[in-house]
Amino acid sequence: MTADDELDPVIHAPARLRVVVTLATLRDADNLSFTRLQELLGLTPGNLITHLRKLEDAGYVTTVKSGRGVNARTSVSLSQQGRKALDAYTAVLRQLLDSASANGTTPH
Amino acid sequence: MLEDQHMSVQEAAEVVQDARARASRELVISTPLVYLAWGLVWLLGYGAMWLSVRGQHPYTGPSGPAVAAVLVLAALAITAVLVIASKAAAGIGGRSARNRRILVLTWATGYLALLIAAPAISSSVSTRTLAFLSFAGPVLLAGLVYILASALGRYRSAFVLGAWLVIVGASCAWQAPAAILGICALAGGGAFLLMAAIESRLRAHDR
Repeated sequence: MTADDELDPVIHAPARLRVVVTLATLRDADNLSFTRLQELLGLTPGNLITHLRKLEDAGYVTTVKSGRGVNARTSVSLSQQGRKALDAYTAVLRQLLDSASANGTTPH
Repeated sequence: MLEDQHMSVQEAAEVVQDARARASRELVISTPLVYLAWGLVWLLGYGAMWLSVRGQHPYTGPSGPAVAAVLVLAALAITAVLVIASKAAAGIGGRSARNRRILVLTWATGYLALLIAAPAISSSVSTRTLAFLSFAGPVLLAGLVYILASALGRYRSAFVLGAWLVIVGASCAWQAPAAILGICALAGGGAFLLMAAIESRLRAHDR
């Protein structure tokens, strides 16, 4: 079995992993504006939208649009399901790294 | 970056570590810096007033230059704290933003009340009572605001600092005006500086 089989494929992509980890830094019931998230991750708006859509389809993030015109704002937050998925992902990641170091191999 | 670029376990661990470190650095208010700013202002501000009244017999109050220095230092600290907090909090909405507004309003309302009350009662109370309200009042208020901050879940060290400041402020009730200033400078400003050092170590340990 490879790492790709064991790790959640929705999270196991560099950009989406960074999105989820960044949002997990926020406290429960907090959200982050799309613009600030984009600025932190250095992604193009189109690229970020694509990744957010995948995460939203999996129920890991929630996006809320509010305001109109110049006051329009899109807020992104990690759902409880997303937080649990990240915890599970990092636990598997640690296990894989531990077992690889115990066997003296490089984890794939 | 490619949308579904393959990533090894090692690379994934590095992405998690980097993203977590960057988000903590960018999105979390640096409490050591905030504590450091307040600590320096209290130590230097109360300290300057203390030095200006130490030889007074009878006590007539802090000198004009000492009060001016306090006002300049306070303005610098408020600006520094606002810049640090607004930079980290930009784009963050939800419960934290609401709690932050409550804390700022509580602090501002409390200080405004002290600024209005102290001159209003100055002619009808003793010098010692006025010194307690003017100098220890802000320490008591700061203590209560930090306890409120801990209740709102903002900082882990806030309750300890808040409780200590309340004790320091209350203990000034038994002191002469000059001693009140000395206690506020050393036990108040010193506590902020100590918490800045402790928080800084805890943050480095968490990384």
